[in-house]
Amino acid sequence: MLAKIVASVFLFVITFLPRLSLADWAVNMTEGVTDVSRSVYSLHMQIFWICVAIAVVVFSVMLWSIIHHRKSAGAKAAQFHENTTIELLWTIIPIFILIAMAVPATATLIDMYDTKESDIDIQVTGYQWKWQYQYLSEDLAFFSNLATPKEQISNLAVKNANYLLEVDEPLVIPIGKKVRFLLTSNDVIHSWWVPAFAVKKDAIPGFINEAWTQVEEVGIYRGQCAELCGKDHGFMPIVVKAVPYEDYLVWVSDKKTIIAEQEAAAARVWTMAELMEQGEKVYQTNCAACHQPNGEGISPAFPALKGSVIATQDQQAHIDIVLNGKAGTAMQAYAAQLNAVDLAAVITYERNAWGNNTGDLIAPQYIQSLLKDK
Amino acid sequence: MRLWQVIKAVLAAFIGVQSEKNRQLDFQAQTPLPYIITGIILVVLFVLCLVLIVNYLVAF
Repeated sequence: MLAKIVASVFLFVITFLPRLSLADWAVNMTEGVTDVSRSVYSLHMQIFWICVAIAVVVFSVMLWSIIHHRKSAGAKAAQFHENTTIELLWTIIPIFILIAMAVPATATLIDMYDTKESDIDIQVTGYQWKWQYQYLSEDLAFFSNLATPKEQISNLAVKNANYLLEVDEPLVIPIGKKVRFLLTSNDVIHSWWVPAFAVKKDAIPGFINEAWTQVEEVGIYRGQCAELCGKDHGFMPIVVKAVPYEDYLVWVSDKKTIIAEQEAAAARVWTMAELMEQGEKVYQTNCAACHQPNGEGISPAFPALKGSVIATQDQQAHIDIVLNGKAGTAMQAYAAQLNAVDLAAVITYERNAWGNNTGDLIAPQYIQSLLKDK
Repeated sequence: MRLWQVIKAVLAAFIGVQSEKNRQLDFQAQTPLPYIITGIILVVLFVLCLVLIVNYLVAF
């Protein structure tokens, strides 16, 4: 029996010790880059050391009494039931310890919830599986999609340094300004989490939650969805770029110009080749998560587009389902998410890719006219 | 001093610790009603205290 225990302890040590010594021990939470995140970090450390102190005291007393009162040293067990004084002590001392921890924690919580007098308001909407950012005072809105290539996810390519923590369009905020986030969701419950800001807030459909941050340092901060939200929960990262206020203003006007140009592009004539090229990009970003890069879907939840009736025959039904979605399924209404060019391109792509060779070209102007009627 | 004993019993119940001597004393009572009523009143007072503290803190 003893030999067996020694053997298994030895096995455990030789298996895990090398790994433990190699680990860089970066296991603590981040200190972050805001006042709130720093006070969250210091609370965490204070409470951690209080716990360590309690553990040391409790285990020391316990070990001492086990050894001191051992039977072989002639100790006799005291036979008594309950002791009001000591019971009161071990009830009242923890109450005071808890209050001592609650006072600074409450101060931090009150600070965290104080979203008053913000400089910039941004509505953050969770979608399956991406984030939408709307700058409320700027008439500016865009989606932020995962940018990690599919090949890396399938282990067919070397992974980036920021694997699954990179997006096509990061959220840009100015440093030194109080930014208020209004969080909600389009479908299920998501949670917007950026550890460096100590912001982690549920995005709930039909509710608006508030959070705020004031970043002091220029930088790129990464986060993730923190509430299990379905198949691609791990594939909707958050990237926030904090820049000086002047750069932020330049970015806002540039971004508006780009969006306006993209919308104006719907007016010109697009060739089949252009639409197919654009359509493939839009498809990979917005559709491939469910319908798969090869258009074969995942039966039965996500139907195949390759060879499907809608994608090869009924053009109006195809346009309708892409623009308006399908109630009761995961198919979203993309009229609210993509511009006319991207919608036309992706429908054209779906009608001509993977051997769906219908030859149909959906003109962006036509989609534009449908969007205007809405 | 009967009232004080009831209050003491209820407060001891709040904390969860009661001495055997007081427990014997409490269980000599003819009816539990005073204990129940005092319990309800003290719980309401406790909740009111919490509400006041929260309001005071949030007002900052």
